Amino acid sequence: MRLLVFLILLFGPSPALLAAENFDLTPVKKWIARQDEVRTVQADFTQTRAFRALQSPVAIPGHLWFSAPQSLRWELGDPAKAILLRNGDTAYLIQPGKKRAERLPADHLGGRADSRNSAQAFAMMKMPLAKDYADFNRQFEVLAVSTQENRCHLEIIPRDASAKKMLTALKLDFDTTTGHLLTFEIALRDGSWLRNEFSNVRLNQKIERRVFDFDLAGYEIVEAK
Amino acid sequence: MRSRAARWGWVATGGLLLLIYVVAGLSRISFNVDILKLLPTHLRQVEGLSLLLKHFAQSNELIVTLEASTAETAEAEADAIAAALAQQPRLVKRAVARPPWEKNPGELAELLAYLVLNQPPEEIRALAARLAPAQAPATLQATLDLLTESVSPQEIALRGYDPFDLTGSLAGIGLLTGAQQQQQQSEFASADGTFRVIYVEAAKPFGNYKETIAWMKEIQRVLAPWRDRPGLRLGYTGDPAFAASIAGSMEWDMASSGVMTLGVIALIFWLCYRRARPLLDLQLMLLLIFALTLATAGLFLRQLTVIGVGCAAIMIGLSVDYGYFVFQRSQLHGGTVRELQKQCVQYIAWTAGTTAAAFFALNLSSLPGLSQLGTLVGMGVLIGAVVMLVVYAPLTRRFQRRAAPRPPSVVECLVASTNFQRTGAWLTLAVVLVLLGALAVKGLPQTDFTDRPLRPRHSEAYAALERMEERLTDEHGLRSLVVRGGSVEETVARLRAAESRLAAAQARGDVVRYRSALPLWPDVAHQRANLPVLAPLAAEIPRLRQALRDAGFQDEAFALTESVLTQWSAWSAHALPVWPDNAASRWIFRRAVSRTADGQWLALGLVKPAAGREQALDDAVKNLDGVFLVSWSALGAELQRVIPREFLQVIVALTLAVLALLAVAFRSARAVGLFVATTALVFACLAGLMSLLGMTWNFFNLAAILLLLGTGTDYSILLLLALRRNGGDVPAAQRELGLVICLCAASAAAGFGTISWANHLGLASLGKTCALGLLLDAAISIFLLPVGWRILHRRSRLRPAAGA
Repeated sequence: MRLLVFLILLFGPSPALLAAENFDLTPVKKWIARQDEVRTVQADFTQTRAFRALQSPVAIPGHLWFSAPQSLRWELGDPAKAILLRNGDTAYLIQPGKKRAERLPADHLGGRADSRNSAQAFAMMKMPLAKDYADFNRQFEVLAVSTQENRCHLEIIPRDASAKKMLTALKLDFDTTTGHLLTFEIALRDGSWLRNEFSNVRLNQKIERRVFDFDLAGYEIVEAK
Repeated sequence: MRSRAARWGWVATGGLLLLIYVVAGLSRISFNVDILKLLPTHLRQVEGLSLLLKHFAQSNELIVTLEASTAETAEAEADAIAAALAQQPRLVKRAVARPPWEKNPGELAELLAYLVLNQPPEEIRALAARLAPAQAPATLQATLDLLTESVSPQEIALRGYDPFDLTGSLAGIGLLTGAQQQQQQSEFASADGTFRVIYVEAAKPFGNYKETIAWMKEIQRVLAPWRDRPGLRLGYTGDPAFAASIAGSMEWDMASSGVMTLGVIALIFWLCYRRARPLLDLQLMLLLIFALTLATAGLFLRQLTVIGVGCAAIMIGLSVDYGYFVFQRSQLHGGTVRELQKQCVQYIAWTAGTTAAAFFALNLSSLPGLSQLGTLVGMGVLIGAVVMLVVYAPLTRRFQRRAAPRPPSVVECLVASTNFQRTGAWLTLAVVLVLLGALAVKGLPQTDFTDRPLRPRHSEAYAALERMEERLTDEHGLRSLVVRGGSVEETVARLRAAESRLAAAQARGDVVRYRSALPLWPDVAHQRANLPVLAPLAAEIPRLRQALRDAGFQDEAFALTESVLTQWSAWSAHALPVWPDNAASRWIFRRAVSRTADGQWLALGLVKPAAGREQALDDAVKNLDGVFLVSWSALGAELQRVIPREFLQVIVALTLAVLALLAVAFRSARAVGLFVATTALVFACLAGLMSLLGMTWNFFNLAAILLLLGTGTDYSILLLLALRRNGGDVPAAQRELGLVICLCAASAAAGFGTISWANHLGLASLGKTCALGLLLDAAISIFLLPVGWRILHRRSRLRPAAGA
């Protein structure tokens, strides 16, 4: 279930706090408890973005590879328009079309809501977000939980005030039997939203190490501000 | 009878004129709370900081800080406070708790239009091409692609409302980066949101410090419901808060130290003489001296600095010496008033002359605060000498004729006793040995040439400011870049020169980063070239809106573009240079651009020097005209380079002058030698005492050396003169002047001592150092100087006519 965690981090900054136990959170607790079982994740996804400025949403496909503890490749577009690549403490935001790579300092990998630049994009690289349910509970407030057959729908919001200023909710759907994340959505206060629908999810299958390498020869490499 | 009436007529006329003079002078007195007014204006840091504070500190703006346990509470309470203050139009012009554009983002369109207008013409031609009928669909498709693919929230947020990429031409100027946005944010709230700031502009400019104090009280009354609310902490800073608290404490310091000194003097006088009438007369004389001096200051100096307020206690403490002397002489005098005055004038002229000279010598220092103190006390001492001789002497004689003979007081008997002299000498010797031992063990007192002595001891405004800096910025050591020019063009040229030097310094590693006002500064040439290209675009609004709809955008996405195009069109009729002028723009520009009353322009930026490379950075820009890189720490460093050297020069000059005068007066190498030895011993003991008490030398108490040279040395000079008058008879000289010197030293020490508690740390340190020095000087002069005299004259017979 680390997949859940880093996807939450992708769009929802971390910080602290308490939680309400007004919902039946049993499926969520079980789901989070299974995180440690995940060693690798591979998945395809379609990212759909809706903005107030647009008449209709726009969509783009993507792929991700994750290997515990801190290896990640997240590609947006096919062919990739943007690649977030992390290997241990080294991370890059790569834009192949521009032949440009931005090196992310270690303090940007924490995914704090107040990180200065592209916080949400960088945040996904903090792994894991929640060590356990208590940690999850400290960082997120649960807004709604509902389960229908094998599909659990969870709405949460980071307890961090600056994140709350931007977000109305983070929405996740996961399969209660397999633990697969089905969708992840971030809803913003201005009415826009961003949803990832996952498919072809493969857990704990071997991933070649070269997936987490990238040849930056010929790229302009800049330090992230 | 007629002559008596005429005399009273003259007295009444004189009194009336004096009263008019005093009232006129006192009514013009005001306090200047600007600590930079205490410092040499020729120093570059002082000049730059003065420009910064005068033109960017917003003299009418109070800053209310608020801390709460949660960000939500802080935000809600900050909004509530702003709303409460906004309901007080009599007091408040506006209260701002969040950026003006947060409520109305459309206001930023004007700033955006302005920034684009200043870009190079080739960028503008490319922009116009993006909007051309053939290119517009491709431009919009590129925006759609970006909205689909970008992983930058900032880029997405911006382009969603800028589909034609008008901001693309600003990519190079760095104004739209996240860091910049963060800084705008941080003007109102800390990163965690629990610390908020409300900017409160007064309804009208303050006429004087009393108005400021009254206004602050009114604001605090309005905010009283928040003051005691659990979990909330309010703070007040900004110019009005500083002015109110510092001026208030100045008023208190001046009044309390003056009254305390008068009280101590009354007590001392009563203990010594137990005579009510002369005491009352003496107190009246001191008040007269104080009023006359302050009136003179009001007429000629206008504004008293925080150091100048110390004058009251010091001049009272010093002027009373002449009163004591006149009274003491009148006790032994049986002749006329004129004869008494004649007897006293030599002593008083000598001591008042040297004391006033020492204080006037403070004008040689380039510290205007000390110069003002020196001028005030110097004037006070001279006025005091005249008043005591002309007014008090006749009063004491008239009282002497009426009063019945009285037995000497206990203190008089004690001071005149041989036992007192002997015990005093042993005790003084013991104290001297202890202090010299402390000096040997602990060394000279430490120096503190930072800006700390410039500050008040207790200041809520400082505390709130420091807290605000701590919570709103996560870095220290920033320098302010102030650029001054006579015109827009000259200023921009200087800004470019400064940026060029800073870029080079950054390449060398002397600068971490910098931001000047250059991106906000109008480029007249660019504006002239760009307006003819941009202004006609307003006519294309219908076409562009339709293209936007066709590409799949909502009309909402066109609002910013439409406002910008309309703004360019509106500016086409303006004279150049064009400046943005709406509320959001004014808010952003208020701390970046300023225009002085005499038509000069000022631009403000920030520079973060690399640690340990500050001097190299200063050197990089120091030769640039109109460019100042300033901070309080840099000011301290500059003062440390300049002030001690200046003081040393003044001290050496004054020492040589005093020695020359003494050589002429005594015509005796041994007497001058004794004086030098006594003075050296006093300073050595003072240094030991300061080390023992953990006191430090700073810009202000360095002046104590000068003052002790001019004031404290009077005691040894008086005693040497008395020894000569009494033919070397030590007990007789001690009987004649021991009590007077004790009284003088106690009063002067009381005068200086009462300002040891002044709110201004520099003034307080000056008072404390002088008080300790005077007491040491008096003790050593009364008890040890005669011992030295005896030793020197053991083998030689004194010849009174020839001197020592």
